[in-house]
Amino acid sequence: MKDINKKTGLARAKDIYNHRSKRARELKAEGKKVIGYFCCFPPVEIMTALDFLPLRLLGDMDEPITVADGYLPTVMCIFYRSTFDLGMKGRFDFIDGFIGAHACDGAERTSYIWSNYIKTPCNFFLDLPHVDKGEAVSYFKGQLNYLKETIEGLAGKKLDIESLKEAISLHNKQRQLVRELYYLRKPDPPLINGSEVLQVMISIMMIPAEEGNALIQEVIDEVKTRQDIPDKKNGRLLVWGSLIDNIKFTDLIESSGLNIIIEDTATGTRPFWHDIEETEDPLDGVARHYLQEVKCPRTFAETDTSYKEDLENRYSYLKDFAKYWKVNGVFGNIIRNCDIHGYEIPAVKDYLESLGLPVLIIEQDYSTASLEPLRTRFQAFAETIG
Amino acid sequence: MKTENKKIKKKSGKTLQTAREASYFAKKMLKNALQAQEEGRPIGWSMVTWWQGELIARAIGAELVFPENYGAFCAATGGAEKHLEISDSEGYPATLCGYARNSIGYAKLLSDNNFVPYEGAPGGGLAKPKFFLASGTACDARYKWFQALKRYFTEAPVWTVDLPMPGTKEFFYKGNKELGLKYIVDHLKDYVAFLENLLGTKLDYDRLNEIVDQTFKTLALAHEVDILRRAVPSPMVGSDFWSIMIPHLYLPEDPEAYEFYKKVYAEVKQRVDNKIGAIPNEKYRLMFAELPPWHSLGFFGELAEKFGMAIVIESWNYHAILPIPEEEFEGVTDPLEKVAMLTYYKWTEYNKVALEYNVDPGFFMAAYFQFAKDYKTDGLLAHPLMSCRPATYTLLHTKNTLENKLKIPGVVIDGDIIDLRVFNEKEAFSKMEAFVETMDHYREERKKAGIAW
Ligand code: SF4
Ligand code: SF4
Repeated sequence: MKDINKKTGLARAKDIYNHRSKRARELKAEGKKVIGYFCCFPPVEIMTALDFLPLRLLGDMDEPITVADGYLPTVMCIFYRSTFDLGMKGRFDFIDGFIGAHACDGAERTSYIWSNYIKTPCNFFLDLPHVDKGEAVSYFKGQLNYLKETIEGLAGKKLDIESLKEAISLHNKQRQLVRELYYLRKPDPPLINGSEVLQVMISIMMIPAEEGNALIQEVIDEVKTRQDIPDKKNGRLLVWGSLIDNIKFTDLIESSGLNIIIEDTATGTRPFWHDIEETEDPLDGVARHYLQEVKCPRTFAETDTSYKEDLENRYSYLKDFAKYWKVNGVFGNIIRNCDIHGYEIPAVKDYLESLGLPVLIIEQDYSTASLEPLRTRFQAFAETIG
Repeated sequence: MKTENKKIKKKSGKTLQTAREASYFAKKMLKNALQAQEEGRPIGWSMVTWWQGELIARAIGAELVFPENYGAFCAATGGAEKHLEISDSEGYPATLCGYARNSIGYAKLLSDNNFVPYEGAPGGGLAKPKFFLASGTACDARYKWFQALKRYFTEAPVWTVDLPMPGTKEFFYKGNKELGLKYIVDHLKDYVAFLENLLGTKLDYDRLNEIVDQTFKTLALAHEVDILRRAVPSPMVGSDFWSIMIPHLYLPEDPEAYEFYKKVYAEVKQRVDNKIGAIPNEKYRLMFAELPPWHSLGFFGELAEKFGMAIVIESWNYHAILPIPEEEFEGVTDPLEKVAMLTYYKWTEYNKVALEYNVDPGFFMAAYFQFAKDYKTDGLLAHPLMSCRPATYTLLHTKNTLENKLKIPGVVIDGDIIDLRVFNEKEAFSKMEAFVETMDHYREERKKAGIAW
């Protein structure tokens, strides 16, 4: 493994976070191919097993959206408008393959429009059912097979079952390490702050899984023995909702009297909380995992129970999070025009408030330029829950 | 060129007699729901699922009402404002779909009023649902919205009928179409079990077969009308279509809908045979994308009168399905399979066109490439809706690619489905005035490029 800048642990995570495509470009120069993908549903295991570097495509809250305005209307999720804007500006011009996904409206339509304007040698649109029933899993498994065939073409080789099983173990290991990292936030104050965790999380989405695992391990070892732990604050916060991918946002929250303790988002726990089961045909485990176990409100769980039971069914994992990590407040983060999370607000509030947890909901514009006015709201929230 | 309607009706813009009669079906739907309520029959609040969920629900004896329509109705009658305010105060973002916000506000009032529609509710209100029929097709609102409504109808289950939506290229992967159809059929079996369990009655498959056959018949005839519209001058316009679509989109299994389309067909055919245009002096043939500004349909009359602009074809998603080749039905006897084919073929029917022009997605946008040719159009009038997402997302993309690949220019005029003030008629009119020159320019460009029409 090549050690970039000879940095380790948190310093290395910070470096990768700041220069997100650096490692990918280096590896590419060494002959590795890179696949960019949307959201947390295209299985990274299949990409890793075929020796690709899976690279999560994210937006940039620091970069004003300019080019995308001519292609995607302003009523669309700003995160995906930003991601597309970066794509049009050449930020991802080194990727060899693009995997779009039917995660939500924003991801789906942007995937289509992306492949019309941003050309890569290979692209695939992963259809993902909206329901988690058995027949949907079978259909999804079929789509995963097509995904596999498509990128086999780019790899110039067939995927063998053993490599897929190994890749699943490698990524399961990553999931386990991420959970260990999160456990370090259980003490009060936590041993690691939200911005540091975010830097690690973004980093592992930008580098190969083995390197990511080594990085998390380094961070865990470093944090366990560090002296400079975060300050104790009034609030121990659970973040729920649309993703956060910029530390200016987490810094703002944490400098307002709150410690971020756990994040139920697409850059937080969601892709990492459940391990892929070992199944005879590994794609069965992969399909079930992504459709049934990645806890995102984009997947609809059918219910014929009462509202109360429905809430329990949909959100009981949040209760577990809150109890285990002893959180005393919840920040519901909504990227403007994110319908998936927007429709959830009153229901998730009903549930969390019934547990005695105060909830702060903020709709924001995915732009660091418009963050500062939110500070007073976080400060006020910190005071009320302290 | 002769014209039948020298005077375009300012308010509705309708030019067909049958279009004027079509409101009968909207009233009939409402009446059926009220009657069902009186008779104690189950009522479902439903999304349009392009027939995938509705036909089965009706075959088992449920009556359906459509909150999306109710949103339009409330907006048009001035009753939406109150509902929107309630939705906002309940904590739902004001950026959500306007129709959803309207029904959330209404649902709150209904549940607060012991499930009796409040005094003065627009159109008498919607009756309490026994279940929700949500849809995984077209936009996230169409299932998240109903899931959210459970907050107000705590015992009513929400069922989401899902539809595969692979990319265009992926749709043509070997075996993928069959895989998609299998998913739908298996999924519909689950749906039938859900309904049977909820309503305590068995689905009569013979009855479903009848309903499905009748639906295909009606849709085929509605499509024949679409074909007639290719004539120059255009025998009917968008304002006619928005009225006549109700029976095929909402009540295709109703034999009265079929009889109605026979009349529409005869009226349109008579115009085509006699080269009668729906508007006087048709000069520009336009495609229209998304829902129209309901309160200002007279705007189209103005465009016709002043510039000779006719809306000759409109939003793909509201049109009847293209005919499915007979041989595709060989050996298919299960009505669930026919339903699966109906909806899935509708959603993928323009995938070949998408491949031909190398544009994605096949739904919502590729149809305009075919329309442009078949209907010999000069431009696209894009009407993005602030609070309705699905087609709006691809409108700019559609406009850009039509310009690039077919030299069909587009003009964008903002509007909304709930906040009717977003549509600024005066501003829109001057944009259209400027657009005349653009269309003239592109006509020349098309000539130079050897693109027919
Ligand atoms: S913020 Fe919402 S709409 Fe945007 S990508 Fe995430 S889930 Fe999709
Ligand atoms: S956004 Fe449009 S299509 Fe979606 S539910 Fe609302 S009105 Fe219907």
